[in-house]
Amino acid sequence: MALESLQLLYPEILLSALALILLAADLWIPPRHGRALFHFGMLAAGLTLAMLGLSYPAAAGASSASALWVADPLSLFFKVIVLVTTVMTLLLSLDYPLPSEHLGSFSALVLFATLGMMLLVSATDLLLIFLSLELVSISSFILTGFHRGDLKSSEGAIKYFLIGAFSSAIMVYGISLFYGAAGTTSLTGLHLEMTPMLLFSLMLLVVGFGFKASIAPFHLWVPDAYEGAPTPVTLFLSVAPKVAALAAMLRVFLHLLPASGVELAGIFSFLAMLTMTVGNFTAIFQTNVKRMLAYSSIAQAGYMLIGFVAGGQKGIEGVLMYSLVYLFMNLGAFAVAIVIGNQESYELDAYDGLAKRHLPMALLMTFFLLSLAGIPPLGGFVAKFYVFAAAIEARLYVLAVVGVLNSVVSVYYYMLIAYHMFFKPARTDKPINTGLYLTCGLTVAALGVFLLGLYPDPFILTVKASAVMAGPHVASAAPARVPAAAGR
Amino acid sequence: MNCNLLTWTVFTPMAGALAILFVPRENKGAVRTIGTAAAAVSFLISLALLAGFDTGGSASGLQFVEKWDWIPTFNIQYYLGVDGLSLPLMLLTTLLTLVSLIFSFSIEERVKEYWFWFLVLDAGMLGVFCAMDLILFYVFWELCLVPMYFLIGIWGGPKKEFAAIKFFLYTLFGSVFMLLGILALYFNTTPHTFDMIEMARQAAANPLWLPERFQILVFLAFYLAFAIKVPAFPFHTWLPLAHVEAPTAVSVILAGVLLKMGGYGLLRVSYSILPWGFKWFLPALVVIAFIGIVYGALCSMAQTDLKKMVAYSSVNHMGYCLLGIAAVNATGFSGAMLQMVAHGLITGALFLLVGVLYDRAHTRDISAFGGLGVRVPLYTGIMMTTAFASLGLPGLAGFWGEFMAFLGAFQRFPLWTILSVAGLLVTAAFFLRMIQKIFLGPLNVKWSDLQEINARELAAVLPLTALTVLIGVWPKLALDLMNPTINHMIKTLEPLFK
Repeated sequence: MALESLQLLYPEILLSALALILLAADLWIPPRHGRALFHFGMLAAGLTLAMLGLSYPAAAGASSASALWVADPLSLFFKVIVLVTTVMTLLLSLDYPLPSEHLGSFSALVLFATLGMMLLVSATDLLLIFLSLELVSISSFILTGFHRGDLKSSEGAIKYFLIGAFSSAIMVYGISLFYGAAGTTSLTGLHLEMTPMLLFSLMLLVVGFGFKASIAPFHLWVPDAYEGAPTPVTLFLSVAPKVAALAAMLRVFLHLLPASGVELAGIFSFLAMLTMTVGNFTAIFQTNVKRMLAYSSIAQAGYMLIGFVAGGQKGIEGVLMYSLVYLFMNLGAFAVAIVIGNQESYELDAYDGLAKRHLPMALLMTFFLLSLAGIPPLGGFVAKFYVFAAAIEARLYVLAVVGVLNSVVSVYYYMLIAYHMFFKPARTDKPINTGLYLTCGLTVAALGVFLLGLYPDPFILTVKASAVMAGPHVASAAPARVPAAAGR
Repeated sequence: MNCNLLTWTVFTPMAGALAILFVPRENKGAVRTIGTAAAAVSFLISLALLAGFDTGGSASGLQFVEKWDWIPTFNIQYYLGVDGLSLPLMLLTTLLTLVSLIFSFSIEERVKEYWFWFLVLDAGMLGVFCAMDLILFYVFWELCLVPMYFLIGIWGGPKKEFAAIKFFLYTLFGSVFMLLGILALYFNTTPHTFDMIEMARQAAANPLWLPERFQILVFLAFYLAFAIKVPAFPFHTWLPLAHVEAPTAVSVILAGVLLKMGGYGLLRVSYSILPWGFKWFLPALVVIAFIGIVYGALCSMAQTDLKKMVAYSSVNHMGYCLLGIAAVNATGFSGAMLQMVAHGLITGALFLLVGVLYDRAHTRDISAFGGLGVRVPLYTGIMMTTAFASLGLPGLAGFWGEFMAFLGAFQRFPLWTILSVAGLLVTAAFFLRMIQKIFLGPLNVKWSDLQEINARELAAVLPLTALTVLIGVWPKLALDLMNPTINHMIKTLEPLFK
């Protein structure tokens, strides 16, 4: 049993081995060849992707490995998303002016963070969840501060670290209380009674997850960390840890805990509304594109939470679909931001007259932003459609209304960038140079956004097949769902 | 014999738009040629639709149907078709787009982007009128927003940026509720479907096919989207700004086609699918129509800016359309449809003519002119014909729609109909005042070298004027297209609205 299931862990083992090699290589490869290490990092992530495919023979349903973690379609899906994000992050880093030293560490840290997320989306034990979250967090702290000479980068890293460490402490406290209530840190095979201590411990867990997934009101680190971090890292942080944390939340709060007799979805309704609203209304006032996209990513987490709150098969599928689309549209928006940031700055003014200087770029950016806003026929619409459909099916009308109103608000600031690109006169007519790798990234993003919008069916089928979790079946042991106080 | 004519009509402009993207921006000639060709081909195909359209008494259903699975998981279909409601509006769209594009040859700034957005807009509007799947309908509906935002915001007047974003947010605000309404319908149909025709069939079989309260709620969700588009009081406040700031050709499309999407939606979705909700709302709808008619006319009267005056007159004219819809009988519905077509032609022409004058005089102040009839007789003739059509002079297209709307509404709401007649008087008053101030009296010497309307502008305006006269003397031409469908719609739900 143990050895058979070990092969399910091969991708993670491979990735950690390659990441360690990369770290060692950093000592031997001279800085001028440092960029080769990015290619090695991409190769490592690519190999891991291939290995993932191999170690799930014929995708034979859900297969459990041990009490600590499981390999099932849901985890496979999120591992693929995380790994693709990793590849794209390293790809964009090739065209981004990073400090020339320790590029191997940079790639290795990205891979370590990826490893943490791969474990996180599979974990069924609170201790493993905590360890993998820490692996993600610590790697991310360093990545955020990678521009060592830049004050903003350091400031972002320190804020991120302080708040992150604080949230880790809260989480550990939650876990210890949970242990006190349940007598174990494992989340499988439990039969729990809701006691005040258990409830309190679960609240603390929500807070811990909320920090990682940047859910309001635990989002305060996001803008500074996102603004200060090297932009490819910002892209990485805005996609991978967020969807991985949501995946872990799906497993814990929608699957494992309900199976043990605890239902928590109610409070998430409130958190979803707060997250969307705070993210969108704060984004309106930003003048820096990275900060604006940071707040936008907070709002996007709120939309994903709608699917989470709706629960049920469709809700889970909605979260998966949203994560997939979100990867492509955020990739596109950040790729354009890097192009402009490399040449000018990340201020909104830098986008003035982009339509005159480089029309295709301006149009692409507009499409990515419209997709983020959920305008058809782009991918973002399909994602929003899915979560709103889940909400309506679950009769969460208030939540759905708050969600669509938020999309209207979001159009305002997304279009603010379009306003600068199309309506303002250009301040220089320097041509825009897109690097080879950025062009690749933009192409992937554009294909993803349009394909997902125009022909989503294959992806929907994938999502349907992936929204399956291993372990106890909720249907058999499920308690009656406690109606959420808000949103019904 | 189908040949996928509808797909060709809708996607020819889209193909043209994509082709334009690959033309270097300096090559304005090629951009214009490709664009005009795409719009012209789309127009010709729509004429082929007209030629092949069966107007026999039994032909109340959809024709030229195209139906493929698009997203089978959600039972979303690529489902196109036309009937008596769709076809006139599609023809109006292809025609107005073509003439607007001809008029747009004078745009010299950022030509490539202008034509690109314009053709995308065209595809979106055409799709709205022939999509029979609610999600497809919604996709096309939203597809109109983005191009319009850029068209107003880049090539518009002094307050263009504000007008553009206000238009975008206002209409989006309505349509997101429509999306929720669509989803609510989906989950309450068995089997789950977005098929409008299937829903209408179920509603016709049993008007209470969905619970009363549910119908009312979903009706309101849809109504918000449609009322904002129409625009019905009190959601009309985006209109004057957008119409006035938009460049001439875009105002034509806004007034000529985009407003019709609201009226079309009320008939296609609200009445046919949610009859109980529609019935519940009727008393309010007639009051809203009355307010639109009278208030729109009074606002028009108060304007000194010619374009603003025409813009507010749209509120008034769409009020007649709502009045006809509120009548819920064959006369009223036919009147509403005819009014939509006529208003598209007439107001389209009016905006073009205002644009012609503004291009020369660079002012739209009604009092700044005087006696132009002497200086530009041809222009004056066309403008006066169009203005008379707009105020509802018998013999011109505007008359029949208004007349039938009033006739139909009188049977159901006599009091409100009589009160609404006041709007007719005011409309006549402000158009006559306009004619008097601009064209009659002694020539204002300032304009003694004003140029007569040129050939290109004539090519854009004359088809509209000709159709205005043609429909005016022979309304049967348009009514025959609509009547089988409308009679069928009325008959199926007759017991409910007795």
